[in-house]
Amino acid sequence: MTDIDAAAARWTSVGRRTSIGRLVARYALPLMIISVVLVAALTTPGFAESTNFRAILINTAITGIAAVGMTAVTLSGNFFSLGVGATVVMAGITFLATADRTGSAALAIVITISVVVLLGGAQALIVAAGLNPVITTLAFGTIIYGAIAVWTGGEVVTAGATQVTGLATADLVGLPMPVVAFLVLTAVATVLTERTVMGRQLRLVGQNRETGRTTGISVLATTIVAFTSLSIGAALAGIFSAAQLRQMQANDLPNLTMDIIAAVLVGGAAVGGGDASPARSALGALLLVTLGNVMLLHGLAPGVRVFGVGVITVVLVVTLHLIRKADAR
Amino acid sequence: MEDTHTPRLSVRGVTKTYGAFTALNEVSFELRGGEIMALLGENGAGKSTLVKILSGLVAPDAGEIVIDGEAVDLDTVAASQAAGIAVVQQEYSTVPTMSVADNLFLGQAAAPWIRRPRRLVREAREILARVGLEHLDPRVEVATLSVAEMQLVEIARVLARDARILIFDEPTAALSDAEVGRVLDAARRLAGEGRSIIYVTHRLGEVFEIADRVTIFRNGTSEPPYDVDDLDVDTVVAKMIGRELAHLYPDRGTGGGQVVLEARKLVAPGFRAPLDMVVRAGEIHGLTGQVGSGASAVIEALAGLAPVLDGELRIDGSAGAARSRRAGIRAGVAYCSPDRKRDGIFAQSSVRHNLSSPWLSSVSRSGFIKRAQETRSASAVADAFALDAGRLDRTLGSLSGGNQQKVAVGKWSGIRPRVLLVEEPTRGVDVGARADIYATLRRIAESGVAVVVCSSDTNEVLGLSDTVTTFYRGVATHSRPAAAWTEHELVREVLHREEVSA
Repeated sequence: MTDIDAAAARWTSVGRRTSIGRLVARYALPLMIISVVLVAALTTPGFAESTNFRAILINTAITGIAAVGMTAVTLSGNFFSLGVGATVVMAGITFLATADRTGSAALAIVITISVVVLLGGAQALIVAAGLNPVITTLAFGTIIYGAIAVWTGGEVVTAGATQVTGLATADLVGLPMPVVAFLVLTAVATVLTERTVMGRQLRLVGQNRETGRTTGISVLATTIVAFTSLSIGAALAGIFSAAQLRQMQANDLPNLTMDIIAAVLVGGAAVGGGDASPARSALGALLLVTLGNVMLLHGLAPGVRVFGVGVITVVLVVTLHLIRKADAR
Repeated sequence: MEDTHTPRLSVRGVTKTYGAFTALNEVSFELRGGEIMALLGENGAGKSTLVKILSGLVAPDAGEIVIDGEAVDLDTVAASQAAGIAVVQQEYSTVPTMSVADNLFLGQAAAPWIRRPRRLVREAREILARVGLEHLDPRVEVATLSVAEMQLVEIARVLARDARILIFDEPTAALSDAEVGRVLDAARRLAGEGRSIIYVTHRLGEVFEIADRVTIFRNGTSEPPYDVDDLDVDTVVAKMIGRELAHLYPDRGTGGGQVVLEARKLVAPGFRAPLDMVVRAGEIHGLTGQVGSGASAVIEALAGLAPVLDGELRIDGSAGAARSRRAGIRAGVAYCSPDRKRDGIFAQSSVRHNLSSPWLSSVSRSGFIKRAQETRSASAVADAFALDAGRLDRTLGSLSGGNQQKVAVGKWSGIRPRVLLVEEPTRGVDVGARADIYATLRRIAESGVAVVVCSSDTNEVLGLSDTVTTFYRGVATHSRPAAAWTEHELVREVLHREEVSA
């Protein structure tokens, strides 16, 4: 053991060497958010107020929770779920309908999460069998949308007499429940990704699936875990969203899928897999919502706001990509 | 034959080095009009480097290339095409979802700007007839063709360019005997039209069937060509090998350990007969054969990467290791792939994460990685494999090929391996690093591991192994102690068993 310890000492004494590109890639996002907040606070009336910060956090929570959940899918090399928006809406409607029927919000939460996780598991099995994840999730998204449209007949669904708004409005340590859930989920997902065997394996398989195979990493297991993470995120996003709105219908949240994907990308995830972080995806969601908020406060029309956020997303994603490429050289 | 005094192609004093490795050392080569010249040599002798230079993919460091009396500069693929050189690729370069006719004219400098399907099909028919594919409808997709037909279309593609010099780069490696005949016919017909052909092959039988002359490369050097009539198989083999092995390989093992790996009537995809095999602790067992001989199929089955269809595999007496790769790793079966980049390493990850990837669960508790322990174990491995200090946190892809290879092998020492399976351990590795790798493999065997090495390099297999098994067309043909083989016999056995005995 002494030999090994001596070797270890020699190795660790050399310390970590990190390239500039990696440092920039790692801290670009927090720096970007801080500078946006500073500039906005100086130039935008009404921005630097606690009610506005609260509003930004509440707006980030729904997209952020789903983006944090989806990060595992991107990390493991399964790209994105194009059905995530439809899944969130389905989760919301399932939650409201079961709360109405059972009279218990808690039971409705359990049922909703189980249903969404089962659907995610089905997609994982198909993707692990070799079908393209983009096509699979797009197909499931369409089927889910169609199913809820038929099921609800296009009507608005509510929780009836069951109280659900408390989920969205109840304060925990001074913050509304969805924000607390968003922060906790981000922390938990980050620790699981960075510290567990499964988290490491998601990353390795995302980098090189073939080497994963020869190293004995189960592609089936990693895919199931990734889609379970996605499903939990989508289910929680749907439940909180439904609790906020108190009603839901099949056509709600039309831009959600793209917002979630944008958050993961702005968070610096490698599209092909092998590099992504739940914390960075959460920051990506926060940055996009903050930018939208600043533009809203400046009284810009919705079209202009979408345009602006789109341009910034493209610039950020391209810049991060170039940094990563230069770093790999 | 045309005037023999000005050769069609003449290569003089060409040298090409890759770093410290000399691929070609003042090589000369000549080709007459209308002749078929076979180009022979072992793996790494420099054949493919010459082919790359002639096709404009690689620039030589020195030397000159003369075509029909004029010095030419082949610095781009376009320049090579313009000089009348065309290469029939070893790997298929056709687009499977396009029609045969479209593929024939794809990528040609002279292809017309406007696609006129009817004319294209008419011209395609003429060209196909010249390679013996007159029955083939040029409108069908390439994906629907047989392997032999694809290879003939590959030749036809080159014809569509109307080249004077054709290079066939192992055109028959994946073909059966009957199919080989069609390729040879096409080559003969083309030579009959006055074109010159360089025929690169590993199959000696073919050489005597079609070649006029033979050039042999060895270790990056050339010899003047021989007339094929002056040669026989034994002389060719002797001229291809004939290099000293003594200093390259470590001493053989003492052998005689207990049986570690035992395969009984094992059947897996790629086998044409059930396999029986025994490997003892401390033994290096070499498997060798041509591409498609079944040697690498055996490795995949032993690793648990390919499904075992019948029979059984026991590691230290217990069955089940071949059920999956994970089961194999649990039983102590380490596997090093022939293509490191493809499935041997995680290039974007750190050295530490690569090293720990097969045994992460052994340094974790309830799913959480114990990072100090991971670092300690990874450091021990790095130390044992002489990896440069201070690189545990470097991205593996940024290290040299030699260091990447050390990581690809070294990571397995963490699973306490009982069996080490290695495919093509020195592919693309220069001579100095080879000796290093051989010494490492021997050291691993000496520590009580059963090592199985699969290589298409017969010299390597013979120099390194204690026991050698040859494979031919999915069947293990012979298994003997290395001392009972001469390299001569081994090369004969592997390269041209049927061609010669027939």
